[in-house]
Amino acid sequence: MKIIKIVAFFLIVLSFSCTKMDIEPLPLPTTQKIFSVSESKVTDGQDIYFDLPSSGVYILAFIDIETGQVISREKFNGKSGENIKKIYTKSIISKYLYLTLSSEDNAQISKTKLTLN
Amino acid sequence: MKQLVTILLLFISFLGFGQSVSAPDSKSFLQSTTAQDASGFILSGFSSTATLLASISLVEFPTGTTFVLNTTTGLTAASGFTLSGNKTRLVITGTMTSINTALASLKINTGSVVGNVKLSVAATINPTGFYYNGVNGHFYKPVTAGTTYTGARAASLLTTFKGQTGYLVTITSASENAFIFANVPQANIWFAATDEVVDGRWVIDAGPEKGTVMKTSNGQTAGNIVGVYNNWAGGEPNGYNHSEDYAVTNWNGQSTWNDLSNNWSNPYIIEYGTWTNPDDATFTEFYTNSVSHSNGEVLTAKFNFDFGSNVDETKFSTKANRYVNNLWSTTTNTSRAISGLGKVDITNDLDTAKVSGGGTKASTTSGQIEWCVIYNYDVTNQRYRIGIDSREVSGILSDPSTISNLQLFDLWNGPVTFNSYDPNGWTEVYVYTQTQFNFSGSSFASNIRSGNGFYGLQAEFTFSPIQSYKQHGIDIIANSQTELNTLYSSIVTVTDVYLAFKELANGGLFGNESGNEFTSGIQFMNADVDGNRLFNEADTYKLLQYLTGVQPLTQYPALTYLMKLHSKSDYDAITKSNWKTQFIATRSLFPFSLNTGALNNTYNVNVTWVGDVNLSHSAQQSVSGVTTNSVRSMSVKTNSVSNEVNALIMGEIIGNKVIVTLSLDPLQQEVVGTQFQLNYDNTALKFEKVEFITKGSPTNFGTNRGSSIMLGSLITDGSTTLDKTTEYKIIFTPLNGINSMLGLTSISNTEAVNKNGIQLKVKIN
Repeated sequence: MKIIKIVAFFLIVLSFSCTKMDIEPLPLPTTQKIFSVSESKVTDGQDIYFDLPSSGVYILAFIDIETGQVISREKFNGKSGENIKKIYTKSIISKYLYLTLSSEDNAQISKTKLTLN
Repeated sequence: MKQLVTILLLFISFLGFGQSVSAPDSKSFLQSTTAQDASGFILSGFSSTATLLASISLVEFPTGTTFVLNTTTGLTAASGFTLSGNKTRLVITGTMTSINTALASLKINTGSVVGNVKLSVAATINPTGFYYNGVNGHFYKPVTAGTTYTGARAASLLTTFKGQTGYLVTITSASENAFIFANVPQANIWFAATDEVVDGRWVIDAGPEKGTVMKTSNGQTAGNIVGVYNNWAGGEPNGYNHSEDYAVTNWNGQSTWNDLSNNWSNPYIIEYGTWTNPDDATFTEFYTNSVSHSNGEVLTAKFNFDFGSNVDETKFSTKANRYVNNLWSTTTNTSRAISGLGKVDITNDLDTAKVSGGGTKASTTSGQIEWCVIYNYDVTNQRYRIGIDSREVSGILSDPSTISNLQLFDLWNGPVTFNSYDPNGWTEVYVYTQTQFNFSGSSFASNIRSGNGFYGLQAEFTFSPIQSYKQHGIDIIANSQTELNTLYSSIVTVTDVYLAFKELANGGLFGNESGNEFTSGIQFMNADVDGNRLFNEADTYKLLQYLTGVQPLTQYPALTYLMKLHSKSDYDAITKSNWKTQFIATRSLFPFSLNTGALNNTYNVNVTWVGDVNLSHSAQQSVSGVTTNSVRSMSVKTNSVSNEVNALIMGEIIGNKVIVTLSLDPLQQEVVGTQFQLNYDNTALKFEKVEFITKGSPTNFGTNRGSSIMLGSLITDGSTTLDKTTEYKIIFTPLNGINSMLGLTSISNTEAVNKNGIQLKVKIN
């Protein structure tokens, strides 16, 4: 019985040691500011963090990198300092997007590249 | 002076420009049959007085295949070859005319082994002072002035010929040795073999085999390396006085070799070419062409589908079908992908078993009575009228009209068109041919009597049913129904609907001004969405119903209800006046015949779609007078329109609603129609409605398709336009509490159409 347990243990160890390690891009750390990195991999419903210089109306937009078309846009009231928003991806056909942050008069403040998971 | 040089260069280049070897089309030979026609290679562009060097070779061939030239007048066989007899390779010299005459008499003899028969012909102007070895495809230039071995070796490397750098000749086979002995009369010719590094260790000293060890000891056969050619004279090489380090052939006028010291002054030969197969030759001004025939019936069926420029062909695959007992069924379960160029080859999926049903073949044998009459050739209709005494037919052939093929001794063996049957007279057929029968040259001349306006044939007839291939079809399959739905959404859009309305409106009170908007019969065919061979209000109504989401355009969304397939020739022949009489139904199975008389069959099939009024996703007709419609519809692929309008998308959470606003800015365009596809996450949002802010009385539509809203406006009569105040508010209720909405909705396909029916690209800002 003891021998069987030992053999089983080694088989388990062996199976893990033979498993291929897939190297995936690391997801954005939960509190990483989205516009502080040039590129991120995001998932549906993920929170994004970003700072605003002052309170007011701002606009977030998704731009399809391939076509240059704006495909989704949200106007919101932001607060000064750190803001948290969710982003959704289920309705999006494209895989590669720009995320832009603009003021209410459409002056771009920040931009980063997103890859949808 | 510069101009003169330029003109001279142009003239020289012109002289060389037109020289070529053309090859015939592929064909299939009968197995185990001699003297089958393989003509069709033609040399052209060479000077008629120049002596050419030509090589004919079987590059790939099954065992038992040879060729023969029946006519060799004016030709000389190159060294090592004879003109007569069956061959796998032959090198000849002669004028272009004499070589072409010979090539026209080229015959293939086949064995029982099925396979590809690749024939190659190469030609060049026969260079003076050079010899061509047809076995390895190399040229050899003898240099008669004597020099040392090392001098010959160095001098050879400084020469080039037809783009190839020369090297001191190497002798690597008995045939090459014999070639040199036969063509170069001098004795003691240096060739590239030396033991200057290690006495007695002879190595090849130049060319592609340089460094190859030939033998490891002096002596005629001592140390000879197996598989490497050696041909030393008796007692040689002997390394006399340790100074004889270099080899000569034709020693003392014989074909064998000796070793000599470098202070001998001998002639030498420069060799050009590094390949072992003549068909790999890369000489400049050396013209070559080839054709791949086959031995045995290798029936092929290849398709070129033309989907137009906005459809990704790789989203479709095919299956081969055959028609048996009034039913279509697949020949195999194999599914073949259509390539990005619209090509697919279903050769391996064909059902090649033949069945009766292809008519009757009438064949002659020598007889005593003139049962057959051939009337004089009808030049106007390019045909012969042929009568078979009906007594030969009656009681033997139940239906004489089934005669579809006729073999008349060696005069004709091919298709005929049945004309008439008189049980008390003649059964008549027509042979359509541009070449008149060779009565005088027939081997059956004794059976043929020339009458006044006719020929009488002493012949008996036998009749046999003609076996033919089953009717085949190629079935196109959409790899994904979802992708097909998406594609079809982009095929029939607001532009198609508006264009249909515009054409109908401009047809005039009595419809006799129709065709002012549509430039092609295909547009009428596609706009006739109910398929009743009439394009009218019912069709535009259905199109509008489809656009506005009231009802689908076709009974089912399956490919066979959406796609129209036509042979390219049929498609090109569809006009605005004849479209009603053509095949206009949708289908995804395209029938084709293998009984074409050819073994290599290529079918060109054009694709169009019901409702594709502007032909944005359809093959273009290749006929003069049909202008390409400049409109392009929504597509997952790149559009090439230049006209553009702007739109703005803005989303916002207001109260407990998510509201997406689309605002139109027509810029300078007179926009009469818009169409937007707004996708939404139906797990997070519930669609409520679309609010339209539009001037005039357009038909506004906002259809929920489950995970997208198709919305827009259409002014069917173009009486007003959509201006900058046009706005669409799409209102959703979140299914759960949310404080963000970015990405819950997204815009994908967009389109607008102007008053002229031109599609406009909508730029979303």
